[in-house]
Amino acid sequence: MAVLDKKKSKVSDEVPSASMADIAFLLLIFFLVTTTFPKDKGLAIVLPEEGGEVQVSQRNILHIIIQPNGLVEVKRGESPQVQVVQPNAMEGIWRQEVSDNPNIIAAVKTHPQAPYKFMVDVLDALHVAGAERISLQLFEG
Amino acid sequence: MPIKGGGFSRKSQASSDVPNSSMADIAFLLLIFFMVTTVFQKDRNQPIVWPEAEATQKIDEKLKNILNIWVVQDGNVFINDRPYALGEVSNVIAPLYVASDRALVISIRADREVQYTTIDLLQKQLVAAGVVRVVFATELEQRMTRERR
Repeated sequence: MAVLDKKKSKVSDEVPSASMADIAFLLLIFFLVTTTFPKDKGLAIVLPEEGGEVQVSQRNILHIIIQPNGLVEVKRGESPQVQVVQPNAMEGIWRQEVSDNPNIIAAVKTHPQAPYKFMVDVLDALHVAGAERISLQLFEG
Repeated sequence: MPIKGGGFSRKSQASSDVPNSSMADIAFLLLIFFMVTTVFQKDRNQPIVWPEAEATQKIDEKLKNILNIWVVQDGNVFINDRPYALGEVSNVIAPLYVASDRALVISIRADREVQYTTIDLLQKQLVAAGVVRVVFATELEQRMTRERR
């Protein structure tokens, strides 16, 4: 059966190693190009310039007072009427106020002992509602 | 008749080719060397619990123009890994702000539970340093978690 012995395959059983470096570089360049670093994210605000305080009529101010327990008191201008709401209710209140008075400014006054997160919650609600004129203050008194 | 070359075989046995096969190995060696030795100029993350906000946006600014101010839960302030007193912040930021050609964006990375008075003092310091663009760094809040709250 000498004929059968000649059937030995001529195909090499080794993985070709000459192009391995090329493949590695190809992968390297692919990942270099496709990698994006995570961007910083947050709520952007613009601080006023020093001494750039502007007098605003009381009629155009919506006072938003944040208490240490997270409840929010809403006062319109000079009226003594106080409305107490949860922070996430601010979105609806702001939309309502803007439709009544397009010149209104949100004065967010946070109690010194109130946690930062409640201020962020209120700011978030105002941002979602599209508010642009927001003044961040410390609640005194 | 003189024999050419004085009878010595002058032909050098050394190949004049640069060896090709190890070039990739050298390239990888350099690559790994630079990967290991490169240090990015970035401050370490402080242990804070992020506040969450639904209106979280990406900051449209180059990474080198963003300066992080960390406020950890007990009210300590860190800039570039170094703790500072609140009163010093303005003096630290002002030269950096001028050096960046007034393009610097300050990212306030404060813990959820920090008392607001700290944040307010920090804002006043930033106003004194002339900074205009400030971002309260937050995590994106999903609608689902918001409705559950």
